[in-house]
Amino acid sequence: MTPATPLWEFVDITKAYPGVLANDKVCIRLMPGSIHGLLGENGCGKSTMIKTLSGVQQPDSGQILYNGKSVTISDPQAARDLGIATVFQEFSIVPTLSVGENIFLGNMPRSRFGVIDWARVYDEAARVLAEMDVNVSPETITGTLSVGEQQLVEIAKAIAMDARMIILDEPTAALGEDEIERLHQLLRNMRERGTAILYVSHRLDEVERIVDEVTILRNGCVVRASGETKINVSEIVSAMVGEDIGEHYPKEQNATDGIVLEASGLATKSGVKDVSFSLCRGEVLGLGGVLGSGRTEIARALFGTDELIAGQVTLNGKPVHFRREIDAIRAGLALVPENRKFDGLFFNFRASGNVTAASLGELSRFGILNLKVEDQATHDLIRDLEISTQAEEKTVNFLSGGNQQKIVIARWLFSASDILILDEPTQGIDIGAKIAVYKLINRLTRAGKSIILISSDHDELLAMSDRIAVVQHGTIARTVDASELTHDDLVRASADIPHSKPEEAFA
Amino acid sequence: MKRIFDTQLIGPFAAMVIVALIVALTTERFLNPGNLSNLSLQVSIVALIAIGSTIVIFAAGIDLSSGSMVALLTMILAQLLKFIGIPLVLALPLILFFGGLLGLFIGLITAYGRIPSFITTLAALIAFRGLALTFNNGSPIFSLDPALEPIFYGKLFGVPLPFFYLVFFYALAAFTMNFTKLGREIYAVGGNPAAAVLTGINVRKVQTTTFVIAGFMTAVGAILMSARLNSGSPNYGQTLELQAIAAAVVGGASLAGGRGNILATLMGAMTIVIVQNGLNLNAAPSSVQNIVLGLIILLAVGIDMWRAEISALMGRIFGRSSSQQSSSIKKEA
Repeated sequence: MTPATPLWEFVDITKAYPGVLANDKVCIRLMPGSIHGLLGENGCGKSTMIKTLSGVQQPDSGQILYNGKSVTISDPQAARDLGIATVFQEFSIVPTLSVGENIFLGNMPRSRFGVIDWARVYDEAARVLAEMDVNVSPETITGTLSVGEQQLVEIAKAIAMDARMIILDEPTAALGEDEIERLHQLLRNMRERGTAILYVSHRLDEVERIVDEVTILRNGCVVRASGETKINVSEIVSAMVGEDIGEHYPKEQNATDGIVLEASGLATKSGVKDVSFSLCRGEVLGLGGVLGSGRTEIARALFGTDELIAGQVTLNGKPVHFRREIDAIRAGLALVPENRKFDGLFFNFRASGNVTAASLGELSRFGILNLKVEDQATHDLIRDLEISTQAEEKTVNFLSGGNQQKIVIARWLFSASDILILDEPTQGIDIGAKIAVYKLINRLTRAGKSIILISSDHDELLAMSDRIAVVQHGTIARTVDASELTHDDLVRASADIPHSKPEEAFA
Repeated sequence: MKRIFDTQLIGPFAAMVIVALIVALTTERFLNPGNLSNLSLQVSIVALIAIGSTIVIFAAGIDLSSGSMVALLTMILAQLLKFIGIPLVLALPLILFFGGLLGLFIGLITAYGRIPSFITTLAALIAFRGLALTFNNGSPIFSLDPALEPIFYGKLFGVPLPFFYLVFFYALAAFTMNFTKLGREIYAVGGNPAAAVLTGINVRKVQTTTFVIAGFMTAVGAILMSARLNSGSPNYGQTLELQAIAAAVVGGASLAGGRGNILATLMGAMTIVIVQNGLNLNAAPSSVQNIVLGLIILLAVGIDMWRAEISALMGRIFGRSSSQQSSSIKKEA
């Protein structure tokens, strides 16, 4: 089955930054018509490798062979010329331009006189989108699309250039289940046509589904390269982490019967309709559903961000009305937003400023902050949640995604919130950090706090929730015990949306 | 104290010292006591106004209105003293109040009207100048009050009074930015407004407050301007807003908001004034002064932007790299 010559061969790629060896003699062979998984914890050297492969930087030593011949990938344009397309984790689309313009950005078809051939731009874009089965007009302004659709546009760029090798860095982080399925189908089609695909993901269930071969990195070195056998998730995990991590989902049952929060008939202008549910002390209530089904909007309605046009929230038996976020925070609610980069973190602050941001009133007397308390509490939380101690001295942009997410959660531990809404809390963080978040959820519920968990990772949602409310069209279709639901049930239940148009508020 | 005098001050301080050394070595009269005390007079107005400009920048705004507001406030002060006959002790607090009030208007329109501060303060820059011209048929008003001049020229223990104003207001600003809820909220709003909203910070109120502070500090500057010349004029304060912003930028404040140290702005202002002073003492024409000021701004921001490259270059030259840099890159990798 394996063809004799690899399409691309990367031999002994070494790259050092001052003080750290990011890649140490990494070898990867990419076969045509094969999906190759590149896995590892954050900081293992994956990003460095991707940067080298896409011409963003040069390796210190090592050899790159294309069809057996030695080549140099001197810059991103050279990579493009060699048929390498990279879909980076961070979007590189321009939100103010149309989908068609984005797809051909930097590579616009020209007519004879050097003028952009707009008819071809839109025709070709439409062809690519149709091939991908994406129902978006090439003339749509990209910024108006949902996050998931924007990600698909990003991938369309790679397809439009007819790449013979595609690098995908966490392509599914922003996608809903049906979009992921569509993407996977697309990748399988490309595999049929002989494209080599390098696939980076933290979602191991996906990896198991789609990847043919894997290379696992740890501390800049290849710890495992598997060409042949069926890939086993637990093997991958222990290779990545370097130790046996035990239970992947360490769920504790802490739910009680005492209702703390009750929502009845909630509606907002952002599309929430007749949402009713109750939340018990110590319970994890999962909100399932596809991206754009209205889960984030329900969170915003509860938190006072979006105004209620109907319905009532009752907290500990008392009706409440949150005019803005601070009212909700004072009442003991907390929101860990879906996008920690844009909505969660203050990158100009160290851990301390991030941890206390929601509690400045409590931290100060006559407007003057008690910095001793701040430092001590931050120090304790960093130790307690096993956050990198660098966070005490450095601004949080230097931290890994997992550490950053823990800091956002630490903010609400410091504010002593009783009800935490966690919107995609494990998105884009590595497996070790995910388990740390799950343990944190346990700790919170054990202490009698309640959690509303929004997640597109169905396995996670099923494992960590006590009950699951399936959200469709901005309303809760049904609420069931998590134990009564299987992965397939959840996929079917949440995907059962005919002709839906995603309307993420943050898109 | 460690919080206030942090590493962000090293660069601007070094720049100031280097510039002062160069000027001192090339210009004899620079270190004369008379010239040094003149220096503190020269820097005082722009440095005081720059406190407000910098705080607005910390919250990711920009204030272009201060130069014109100075002209308008000196004309109002002149009107109050000369034609309405209000005593000085009442007129001064009134001017401070008006400054805050004008800032409040700008802040409300910016924050609640959702108009970018570049636009609101540009409009104010133009409109305030026009408004200043409506007083006294557009002519300056002279000889306001004999008690006005000592506010600028007076001395205490042989040190010019403006030096004490600088110490007082910069100490207050440094305290506010580093030790108060308001200061923290200003940095938070500048750093990430979306996250600030979700942590319950009243972003619009904070933004408005920064403009009130800017208006108040502009009024302080306007009073000193009037005292300096014992007059009010619709022509005062031309390009003062740009000098104040330049002081902030040379001091390392990020125009994207959220980052910077208020004391660095004082050093930025000092750096600019020392260069101007040096050129003045060497009888350089004002055209040259403007060209040099432009280059300083470019250089200051350039050094900030190219910090990584410069330190890598230094590492190659001196055969080592700073540990700070390597560990930061490690995380990114």
